[in-house]
Amino acid sequence: MAANFWTSSHCKELLDAEKVGIVHPLDKEHGLTQEDVKIIKIHMSNYIRTLSQSVKVRQRVVATAITYFRRVYTRKGFTEYDPQLVAPTCLYLASKAEESTVQAKLVIFYMKRYTKHRYEIKDMLEMEMKLLEALDYYLVIYHPYHPLIQLLQDANLAELKVTAWSLVNDTYRTDLILTYAPYMIALACIYFACIVMEKDAHTWFEELRVDMNEIKNISMEIVDYYDNYRSIPEEKINSALNKLPQRF
Amino acid sequence: MREEQNQLSANNDINMVDLNQHPADSNPELSEGTDNVNKNDNSKGSRAPPPHPPPKQLDPSERYRKGITLGQGTYGTVYKAFDIVTNKTVAVKKIHLGNAKEGVNVTALREIKLLKELSHPNIIQLIDAYPHKQNLHIVFEFMESDLETVIKDRNIVLSPADIKSYMQMTLKGLAVCHKKWILHRDMKPNNLLIASDGQLKLGDFGLARLFGSPNRRFTHQVFALWYRAPELLFGSKNYGPVVDIWAAGCIFAELLLRRPFLQGTGDLDQIGKVFAAFGTPRQSQWPEVGTLPDFVEFQFVPAPPLRSLFPMASEDALDLLSKMFTLDPKNRISAQQALEHRYFSSVPAPTRPDLLPKPSRVDSANPSRPPQLASPGGPVVLSPSKARRVMLFPNNLAGILSKQVSQSASGGTPIEFDMPTHKLREVYPPRSRITESGKKHLKRKTMDMSAALDECAREQESESNLDPDPQHSAKKEKHT
Ligand SMILES: Nc1ncnc2c1ncn2[C@@H]1O[C@H](COP(=O)(O)OP(=O)(O)O)[C@@H](O)[C@H]1O
Ligand SMILES: [Mg+2]
Repeated sequence: MAANFWTSSHCKELLDAEKVGIVHPLDKEHGLTQEDVKIIKIHMSNYIRTLSQSVKVRQRVVATAITYFRRVYTRKGFTEYDPQLVAPTCLYLASKAEESTVQAKLVIFYMKRYTKHRYEIKDMLEMEMKLLEALDYYLVIYHPYHPLIQLLQDANLAELKVTAWSLVNDTYRTDLILTYAPYMIALACIYFACIVMEKDAHTWFEELRVDMNEIKNISMEIVDYYDNYRSIPEEKINSALNKLPQRF
Repeated sequence: MREEQNQLSANNDINMVDLNQHPADSNPELSEGTDNVNKNDNSKGSRAPPPHPPPKQLDPSERYRKGITLGQGTYGTVYKAFDIVTNKTVAVKKIHLGNAKEGVNVTALREIKLLKELSHPNIIQLIDAYPHKQNLHIVFEFMESDLETVIKDRNIVLSPADIKSYMQMTLKGLAVCHKKWILHRDMKPNNLLIASDGQLKLGDFGLARLFGSPNRRFTHQVFALWYRAPELLFGSKNYGPVVDIWAAGCIFAELLLRRPFLQGTGDLDQIGKVFAAFGTPRQSQWPEVGTLPDFVEFQFVPAPPLRSLFPMASEDALDLLSKMFTLDPKNRISAQQALEHRYFSSVPAPTRPDLLPKPSRVDSANPSRPPQLASPGGPVVLSPSKARRVMLFPNNLAGILSKQVSQSASGGTPIEFDMPTHKLREVYPPRSRITESGKKHLKRKTMDMSAALDECAREQESESNLDPDPQHSAKKEKHT
């Protein structure tokens, strides 16, 4: 069963961490910094989550949508494809790909409620095609949630579930899903949860014989998010977004 | 609102815990953990940029030179085309999106999504996909023929070695799908395509989907009726990969008999035919059968000897058949186990694909598949190929189709089969009968049925987006 992820397109599409953070040349021209890009991604990931709560989809659809969003912007600039349209379109596409289709007009309905943007269904459907191309039609995404549950069971650490699950949710506010195997992300979240909850799972980790450096790198990313981006001042978000071409 | 978004506590999402997580996320078996990590490390250093279809410089609409129309699919037209980059013939499926309210058709999306994960000589290759003028184009390798055409071709004699070869290729394709947690759900001879080099490839992944978690609920309205496993006929919604095995068993039988094996006219008639062939299951044989949603009790009939149904088959073939046709899905053989069955290692060895018999050449107007519907030589083997996506009246349609079959069967000249098919009728009761309590239950079921049909209609509506009520989407977790 483990052979699964390792032969998937998701695995083949994994990127090196340094490559993911790079600012697209077109965005650079508009004065966007690496920091701006990071903030826009976090902001839009949160936006996808908010939208998803209104249109009521499964956790997994949200996670897939955010992954699509982040993957698209490793290839396209924010100045090229407006994130305000890409975010809801990712949610729409993910709902179809995960077999729990949401109607296009419903997504647009809530999009109009939450933002001032005046995109219509037609715009979203056009963007859907562009996203499919940008994603190279690779749509199957693996997530850390399922390995998390199974690993916790194996480690006999069920009491960490709530904490570790929240941590996994927060990894979607980073590009981790584009750079590490979901199974490693799950392990890092368990590792992190052990520290937070003061549980000793050293022997269990040792027996796994996984690359602890990788686990630490993932944990560092999560720490960086909590330290620096958990609540971003609105001015910062606006200043980043204002560098994008104003479409409306 | 931005503030609000930033503060969405991670805990907010906790009650959304979805225990029906993605099948494929499943257990990274711990004992293999080290291996996996190493594998990942190795690949990280030398990771190549994501693979793109080779020369992207050339606009795809230029690259694939369109030729004649090959056929009309459920959701698009299929053209023959010539790939000027690889100098190969391809098949391009064109899906019109013009005024679609829901963008890319989910069936098309499913097919692309799953085929992008699969690459195997016994699975149709997806070569490319691209948008052009309001249409989504999907490029497949070109396939000369399909197994239905082979089975129907009166000029073809299928030797035991040929049949073994077709079955081996079918099961190899299935094993790969199942290893990747993909259910095909539409196995039938018409969807087993045959390439010019004789390789058989699973095609048409429009009904396929990922599976795996035990509680996931699927629709049981899959497969053409004659290929539906008994658990599906009884309305099971958490079935597994062995539904494909049952269908493969039907295909095996069809290769031996040269006609569809269990030609029911509706769900119940189909189950009756299944039980008539394999006996009504005893409690010990399939303990959970009574708990299935659409279970109806059938009068007990013993199974006729399998030998009597397949007089020409070898012992090994019969043994494998019986394992593929095991009623209780828990005990049915898997694709991998079937490939390891002695049938495939005993003589005769499977025919090399390039030496398999080829269907007679067809007229140039439609070179891929001949419309043999009214072929003179004998009964028409017509699988209810379009029935599966017409969910509203599947029984009706199947009924009409089977009528056509019997009409043309009585009208045509007798076929020269290698085996005494008339004998079959004698040993093969039309179908097992429903018991009294079964009938009562059925009455209740019939009442439920109209509700089920309504639901079906709603599902269809929501797919075509006729429902204007935004509230409706709360119910959108469709069990597909
Ligand atoms: N790869 C292919 N090579 C040659 N012909 C094909 C190929 N795929 C489809 N066709 C032709 O196009 C028709 C419609 O295909 P498809 O869209 O798969 O139909 P459906 O979804 O209704 O089964 C087929 O019956 C066949 O004649
Ligand atoms: Mg087909």
